[in-house]
Amino acid sequence: MEARPVLRQLTTLFNSCSRTGQTRLQSSTRRTKKALKLPPHPSFLVSGAEADHITYNPRFLPPSDPRRQAQLSSLLRSSTGLAPTAAATNSTTTTDREIPALEEKHQVPVPKFNVTREQVAEMRALRAADPTKWSVVRLAEKFECSKLFVMICCKASAEHQVRERERKEAIKARWGPIRSQAREDRKKRRTLLLRGEL
Amino acid sequence: MTIRALEKISVGQNGIGSFILQCKRLDIHYCDHSGSSRGMNAFIKTHLSKFAQKNPAIEFAVSPRPRKHPVMIGHYINGRQKSICVANMEPSQILKKAELLRDASGDKVKRVNKPVTSINESVRGIWSPYHGNGMAV
Amino acid sequence: MSNYTMKRLRLDRVASQLLAAPTSPAARLSRPSRISRSIPQTCRHSSLYNTQPCQRRHQSTAAPQAPREEELVLEPEDGEPIPETLRSGPLPSPHPSRAASSAKLAALHARLSLSSKIPVETLARALVDPSADAHPKYNNANLAYVGSTVLHYHASETLIARYPRLPMAILFTAMKGYAGNPALHQVARAWGVESAAAPGEEVDPGLLQFDPMKPTVVMNKWGYVRAETIESQKFKSGKGLSGRVMYSSNPFGESSAAKALPNFEVDDGRNTKTMLLQNAPANAHANFVRAVIGAVHMHCGRDAAKSFVKSHFLSRTFDLSKLFEFDLPTRELARLCARENFEAPVARLESETGRLSRTPVFVVGIYSGRDKLGEAPGPDLDSARVAASINALKAWYLYSPGQVSVPSDTFAEDAAPWKPAYVDIGEIIS
Repeated sequence: MEARPVLRQLTTLFNSCSRTGQTRLQSSTRRTKKALKLPPHPSFLVSGAEADHITYNPRFLPPSDPRRQAQLSSLLRSSTGLAPTAAATNSTTTTDREIPALEEKHQVPVPKFNVTREQVAEMRALRAADPTKWSVVRLAEKFECSKLFVMICCKASAEHQVRERERKEAIKARWGPIRSQAREDRKKRRTLLLRGEL
Repeated sequence: MTIRALEKISVGQNGIGSFILQCKRLDIHYCDHSGSSRGMNAFIKTHLSKFAQKNPAIEFAVSPRPRKHPVMIGHYINGRQKSICVANMEPSQILKKAELLRDASGDKVKRVNKPVTSINESVRGIWSPYHGNGMAV
Repeated sequence: MSNYTMKRLRLDRVASQLLAAPTSPAARLSRPSRISRSIPQTCRHSSLYNTQPCQRRHQSTAAPQAPREEELVLEPEDGEPIPETLRSGPLPSPHPSRAASSAKLAALHARLSLSSKIPVETLARALVDPSADAHPKYNNANLAYVGSTVLHYHASETLIARYPRLPMAILFTAMKGYAGNPALHQVARAWGVESAAAPGEEVDPGLLQFDPMKPTVVMNKWGYVRAETIESQKFKSGKGLSGRVMYSSNPFGESSAAKALPNFEVDDGRNTKTMLLQNAPANAHANFVRAVIGAVHMHCGRDAAKSFVKSHFLSRTFDLSKLFEFDLPTRELARLCARENFEAPVARLESETGRLSRTPVFVVGIYSGRDKLGEAPGPDLDSARVAASINALKAWYLYSPGQVSVPSDTFAEDAAPWKPAYVDIGEIIS
């Protein structure tokens, strides 16, 4: 009960002390805005914001466009794959930056075209005989081709498809509300992403 | 053909391309006998026809309202109204009020504390922490 | 002082306009009647006298008898008003002679900064929807048809010259965003047009008059209509995009007959069949806006109409990049690169943060050789890749040669010779 007036006196004392030390309170909008006004981040100045803009892409200019003539030197350098010169690396254009490397496992697979006609027939026979044992993944491993190619070649029997569907539905039936909701949300996010609204 | 189109409507901004005066109608009410309408009556006699001639885009409606203070009511395109009681005012003061009603947009009076309000995309882009060389802290 | 009872002060102005406008009712009506006569000659397949062929696509067989019957019904050719004794009941819309004394109409005329060449009577006629007055000489159907063709022409030439690579679906929607009913409804509301509670002889001519329960005209005629259209709609073909390009009768790629509600008979002698619109107020407002464009075109000429369309419609903000909805953007981008002889696109991780956290951010760029085609951030690698390819595709589709000249620029007297615009080979098929 008696502590409150004492506290108030203490705070006023503290405030008066701080005021004598010439620290201004940021109690107004103007002062707060002034205090928060920092110089721009250096990367803000160097990053080519206009180059990241979706509608600016020198590669997509048709030959009739005059801007293509202006970009011709950089286009030539990029298309021939020449290493940028020392002067160019010092410049701040984004086209001359080093492009990020690809990891080994993300290299674009080169189609091998190694499966012969007889092997395709064998693949189909195996898949028809025992679709559970000879799954798409195992067939792709055996014939050293992609899973897509296996799926192009073979079609599982109707009862196998029904069995697989039932198995998946049994798994889905075990999902609780949280997981089902998460799956639903993922679908919604995908739709938004394809609309460019995410 | 994997592209579908989302339906959107173009957005108009008054003053871009064309300007439409937002005040579409001005109701002017007066009283023949009350003293508070003396200025208004003089305004109607002397200023109003000139003011109306200068502002052809506004529809003026003058009507008596006995035993009431004189009032000017502006009707705006956004559906709102703005009314000003001009009791005991001089004709020149009433003219100022009429100009105020003419120039108003009809919106509620809002505090504007940003220098620029725009619906356009920022030209410079938004700063990104994932681009550039970064700054040593 | 008391003689100011609800008196409108616009009379002086209105009087000066009357001097500019033709004085006799016959002369006043001569221009609009010329419009109505000239149109069926140019497009035989649709008669605008008949209020419904704009909804129904009929061939030229049924069209021409409608005007003849109509000219006999209400008014003689010279447009003289019928004497009071011959009139059977109240007029469906206010008499044109009342237009000069309407303060609302004069204010609307001034608000739109219309030229004094356009008489207020024409503006009054533009405010009468066919659902309020079915007589083609007193409603805005003819003016609205002229206006819609002018508007669609300028909108489409601007879009195609400025964005030559837009896919057809986006082009249709963009046309609708600029010149469709919803956009024109908003324009009419921004012009401050009020609508009458119900149409009739006694309403102020400055109010928009329409009746949501009566048949009206839908302005969706767009050039030539194929004879197969009705057949194709019977068999529900032509629903795909190429079908829309081939068979749609309006500039928005829609076939309105497919959306028509079941017809039913009404008592009105001139309209044997009707169709209730889903949004009658929007249609009436849009038709008024089109009729104003038509009036500007008829009274002030082609250039004035072009600048009117430019300042009121094409200057509206419309972000075309928000219209796209992709299905398989990565595959489409790969097809594009194959078609244009670019190297196959490769997604590369530009930068990332918080890979193991709850909210990671990955910035993925799509590269073709050494060129970056697009870039986007995303919460996981796959969505960042998809977003980056969407950005790359939008950069392709939204290519613009800048402020290029459009074909109608060459109509001017001292115009520079036409330089062919860039034409793209077409959209990506995947």
